[in-house]
Amino acid sequence: MKATCAATSWSELPDTLSPLARAAGAARVAFKRRAGETVLDTLYQQGCAKLRLPRLETGAWPCAVTVNTVGGLTGGDRLSLEARWGEATRATLAAQAAERIYRSPDGRAARVETRLVLDAGACGEWLPQETILFQGGRLDRDLTVEMAGDASFLGLEMLVFGRVAMGEVVTQGAFRDGWRIRRDGRLVYADALVLGDALVRDRLAPAGLREAGALATIIAVRPDGERLLEPIRALLADQPLAGASAWDGLLAVRLLTPDGAALRRLVVACLSVLRTPRALPRVWLC
Amino acid sequence: MAMTMAPEAGLYRLMAWLSPAYPVGAFSHSSGLEWAVEAGWVHDRDSLTEWLADLLRNGSVWSDAVLFIHGHRAVAAGDQARLAAVAELAAALAPARERQVETLAQGMAFVLASEAAWDCPALALLRRAAGARIAYPVAVAALAAGWAIAAGPALTAYLHGVVANLVSAAQRLVPLGQSDGQRAIAILEAAVDHSTRRALALDHGDPFGQVGGAGFAADIAALRHETQYTRLFRS
Repeated sequence: MKATCAATSWSELPDTLSPLARAAGAARVAFKRRAGETVLDTLYQQGCAKLRLPRLETGAWPCAVTVNTVGGLTGGDRLSLEARWGEATRATLAAQAAERIYRSPDGRAARVETRLVLDAGACGEWLPQETILFQGGRLDRDLTVEMAGDASFLGLEMLVFGRVAMGEVVTQGAFRDGWRIRRDGRLVYADALVLGDALVRDRLAPAGLREAGALATIIAVRPDGERLLEPIRALLADQPLAGASAWDGLLAVRLLTPDGAALRRLVVACLSVLRTPRALPRVWLC
Repeated sequence: MAMTMAPEAGLYRLMAWLSPAYPVGAFSHSSGLEWAVEAGWVHDRDSLTEWLADLLRNGSVWSDAVLFIHGHRAVAAGDQARLAAVAELAAALAPARERQVETLAQGMAFVLASEAAWDCPALALLRRAAGARIAYPVAVAALAAGWAIAAGPALTAYLHGVVANLVSAAQRLVPLGQSDGQRAIAILEAAVDHSTRRALALDHGDPFGQVGGAGFAADIAALRHETQYTRLFRS
């Protein structure tokens, strides 16, 4: 069903790893400012978590791209990512491909931890691609952002249930996606999407997912966050299952769509408002 | 932290604090229900009870129950740091500006009314822990714990108050008759009981690992309510 990590990677894994674990990886990246430019400070990768640094594109911020070399996650897999934006740096962190969550063979969840730190005046973006939850897949994920009061952050998570076009139906599984954003040490945003053992009920629930095949949350934290609200609302006005709000320098967008393709179109449209005039990272266009 | 009293006094106090007459302004909030009615998602008694049962089972009201239990435990233990962490999480969990206003405005109004009529050291502890950012479930939990009212009856009373307030909102919005409103409250007794039992059984771990749910459409309703053209409610 999926490839395993290279033997050399496995040899670096901690001894405490469960024998049933299929994959583990940890990646760390830091950016610093040198001669007025954002450059790589440190880079560390272990196991199946890799980082690529694409050539800098005109008009874009420096970009680091995460790669999960086992091409999907299942029960007991662990991935961690840490990124630090040094003072006054600007950089984008993106993912090479959608993260696929395959059926857990033993009821355990895959665990993904992402920790992002933005120092004073930094501008950071976290632009992963879709997480695709397949039938019986289980994921427990936490995103933690610690930012200075004058830093700016844009982050999103997209979840797609199976591949609708292939006739796949996801009725079982588990999904937990926790977000915590601290600004100057104070928790300013917390959210946890939890689809538990009643996953199919949550997907059908009128107050829940209303039969949507895909969903997304976009959060922008920046000094002028509230100024972006009107253009985003104008963009979403005709969408029956989408909304946006802004408070305390924070902009929040939620989207429910019939499928992943519709979700991506809407997310790309939102990002074009939030990131103008910069183009999307090239990995998003493949 | 706890004060002593006769057993029946707990019932009297819960009825006073969660009565619509307690001046927290609950009548002016609908948690996005006003948009759900506008969108046609909630249109009769059955769709209302289903909507509210979703919120109680795996939505924002479930998260309120988790916060309530942890707030109650922190006050009972006199643990200011834990109470501060619960209060901070409760304020940050709002998915929309109006939802944050809804919980913080009611929480602060509840504290002010309670300091005037039912003051106890727990309220001072809450002020020290959370300043002026006090979410409604945390405020009620703190007062109940401060007066040694057990978490189970206190949470049941709190959740009943939330349900009764939203049913009352629906009676104005749908509109729904008096009998249908009361039937909805009767039907939702089981959902309140279930959420209360689940919350009481939570371990003492990080509340962030226990809050949350799948109330995505309810969140979108709250987001869309902020631009609803004609509205009776503040949220």
